[in-house]
Amino acid sequence: MSELDQALQTFFVESRELLEAMEESLLTLESEPDDKEAIGAIFRAAHTIKGSGGLFGLNGIVAFTHVVENVLDRVRSDEIPVNGDLIALLLSCRDHIGMLVEQVAADASAEPDNETLATGVMLLNQLKSYQTATKETAPAVSKTNVKAESQVMTTLPSGGKVESGHWHISLRFGRDVLRNGMDPLAFIRYLDNLGEIVHVAMLPDAMPFPPDMDPESCYLGFEIDFHGDNVDKATIEGVFEFVREDCSIRILPPHSRIEEYIQFINDLPENKIALGELLVNCGSLTRKELEEALHLQEKLRVESDQEASPMLGDILVKQGVVQPELIEAALGKQKVAKENKVQESKLIRIQAEKLDQLINLVGEMVIAGAATSLLAQRTRDPALTESTSTLSRLVEEIRDSALQLRMVQIGETFSRFNRVVRDVSKEIGKEIGLSIGGAETELDKSVVEKIGDPLMHLVRNSMDHGIEKADVRVKRGKPAKGTVHLNAYHESSSIVVEVGDDGGGLNRERILAKALEKGLITANQVLSDKEIYGLIFEAGFSTAEAVTNLSGRGVGMDVVRRNIEALRGTVEIDSREGVGTTVKIRLPLTLAIIDGFLLGVGSASYVVPLDMVMECIELTEAERQLTRENNYINLRGTVLPFIRLREQFREDGKISRRENIVVVHYAGQKAGLVVDELMGEFQTVIKPLGKLFENLKGVSGSTILGSGEVALILDVPALIQRAVNVESRAVL
Amino acid sequence: MTKTIMIVDDSASTRQLVNIVLSGAGYEVIECSEGKDALNKLIGQKVHLIISDVNMPIMDGITFVKAVRKLPEHKFVPIVMLSMGLVRSSREQAREAGVKAWITKPFDKPQLLDAVSRFALP
Repeated sequence: MSELDQALQTFFVESRELLEAMEESLLTLESEPDDKEAIGAIFRAAHTIKGSGGLFGLNGIVAFTHVVENVLDRVRSDEIPVNGDLIALLLSCRDHIGMLVEQVAADASAEPDNETLATGVMLLNQLKSYQTATKETAPAVSKTNVKAESQVMTTLPSGGKVESGHWHISLRFGRDVLRNGMDPLAFIRYLDNLGEIVHVAMLPDAMPFPPDMDPESCYLGFEIDFHGDNVDKATIEGVFEFVREDCSIRILPPHSRIEEYIQFINDLPENKIALGELLVNCGSLTRKELEEALHLQEKLRVESDQEASPMLGDILVKQGVVQPELIEAALGKQKVAKENKVQESKLIRIQAEKLDQLINLVGEMVIAGAATSLLAQRTRDPALTESTSTLSRLVEEIRDSALQLRMVQIGETFSRFNRVVRDVSKEIGKEIGLSIGGAETELDKSVVEKIGDPLMHLVRNSMDHGIEKADVRVKRGKPAKGTVHLNAYHESSSIVVEVGDDGGGLNRERILAKALEKGLITANQVLSDKEIYGLIFEAGFSTAEAVTNLSGRGVGMDVVRRNIEALRGTVEIDSREGVGTTVKIRLPLTLAIIDGFLLGVGSASYVVPLDMVMECIELTEAERQLTRENNYINLRGTVLPFIRLREQFREDGKISRRENIVVVHYAGQKAGLVVDELMGEFQTVIKPLGKLFENLKGVSGSTILGSGEVALILDVPALIQRAVNVESRAVL
Repeated sequence: MTKTIMIVDDSASTRQLVNIVLSGAGYEVIECSEGKDALNKLIGQKVHLIISDVNMPIMDGITFVKAVRKLPEHKFVPIVMLSMGLVRSSREQAREAGVKAWITKPFDKPQLLDAVSRFALP
């Protein structure tokens, strides 16, 4: 990871800490409104986030935090009294800043979504009421503000749920309305004076069975569609003024008016309006309804005994006083909360340790299962054998699902580079784009975590040394804008991650000269292109003549190779001068359990990953005679170099009468392994070798067989390399 | 000789950024999280320039500057304030306390390097 990126990570961590401190202090302030220290701490948190955010060019965070900071500054200098409303607002602001930070942390290049913007605008409007007492407003914010507001407009639903252009009045009369001398019908008639009653639906649902019915009680409810010109909500409400006490009324504005209201809310001239006030002002809510809702909010808070009071908007919607669209327009927040809830039910966060524990147990189960199968086979009891084979199939499935749990798509890692490429290209003054392929390719989480740094290094190398300056590119007939590719795909049992560029490519001669100078090779050594390019991964090798501040800071490609090898992967490089360079990182799919192929040599057992096995052939007596001196056979017309594992690992014991060749392949190369016995498929739980065996060549790990014996897992890439090298040297 | 710059800021990310920029330009950087911390680290330490934030916990920037000016061996160390620069009065306060210059956050790399190369002691 680059230094800048690390600094950015520090910023995220720091912001989270500051926001936590801010929340704590806000809560302290709630109980002790005069706590100067708490106010100072809150101010400093906002101040620091804004300041550091600015350094990283996070303008969204800066613009919003700036306003919060201004308000806090006024609180600090005692210009604004601390009260519950202010604290609630500041807490929401804190949450919003947190959300902005998390969004950047998740994807640095992403713009905040509309919901977030809407929340921001709403909070800014509320904050303004604390600011506008003075004539000074924040100029930096107004621009963002306007932009956000226009965004809100575009995201609003185009219409309401009311189909017609009519008011909708929902009436539920109280039981005692008749006893109190009120006639429901009279009110409805009176309503008729104001306009036209389009439709009345009577709701007799509350009507009891006739024997239980009290003729003096009113059981009826009415749903009325009402059309009136120049009628506002307060007027309609006025009609029912006298029955307000013992009757519940909901008035929903006509469809055509909702849009007006939404417009109205957004265009409201004053700013110091809380949601309720806002709705009262635009006429969709009367002051009485607001008061009722506020009352209910207070009551609910007492009942639920929680810190946070339920959102006023929620209550208003629940009561059916205001249509959801209106609340949404005014608040823009409920939807976010709802969506978050849906998300939560889909994803479960698990501690990585628990998952590791599970995989370990599955590993143990695989070993124990193998032991059981072995014992069952010895008994030669067909029923037992069958049941153990069913069991081992299930174990295999559990193993696969358990490993699947750890798989994540590489896309997330890749998309981080959008930002890196953009920033670095600006810094070094080259125009470079990033193209991403295979983002959906899955690999083990632990691998994803560890591959970030090497990738970063390779991408920077490509940008810094690979891609030429624009004028050079144009001269070479290439587009002025360079491209870095990131690509990932599966290939046999490994995953390949490619970092490519369409730059100048590696200079073969210069690498050779440099390698000679550094004593990495001797003058008469004959090397393939691949081997020459591979030299740049050697320690202490750097051809860059000019050391820029991006790459060439002493951390060479050898570190990249070491990192990759620590993941049991390999790196190779492919380059054509003037066309570009591609670095291929090949990584094992999983680090825990693989399908293996068990081989016997002498008295020992070895495992090779099953995906690397192409075929098994018998080494016939005739061929054995022929190959006594040289280590290759003719496999259907092609040369197949091989290694005798017996010699490689100095196994004792008499040479068996029959030998087999296991043909393995890796990264486009093939080789044979000569073994005594083929023992078939075997679920292999990979156990790392101890530190002592770190430098052992040709072995990548160990595993435990069903019998309790230890078998070594062969490092096929290394063995192939060895076979090929030995053979080509012998030919020369 | 490598020049030593001290950065005093309560924001770790800001310190880290300043450090990246300055060490990239060949300066030695000492990071301090606030005034008291910085005063402790100044003991027996030669610095060529101090860059300090204003608003910090424990000891704020202005108090810190005043304290530095009272130290005989650091009496003449140039100090550059690094802040939002909102308030005029605190700027004047800072100037009186002996602050050389004021870098406004967010600053960019050339700005910072320019200020450092201009004010750091020879």
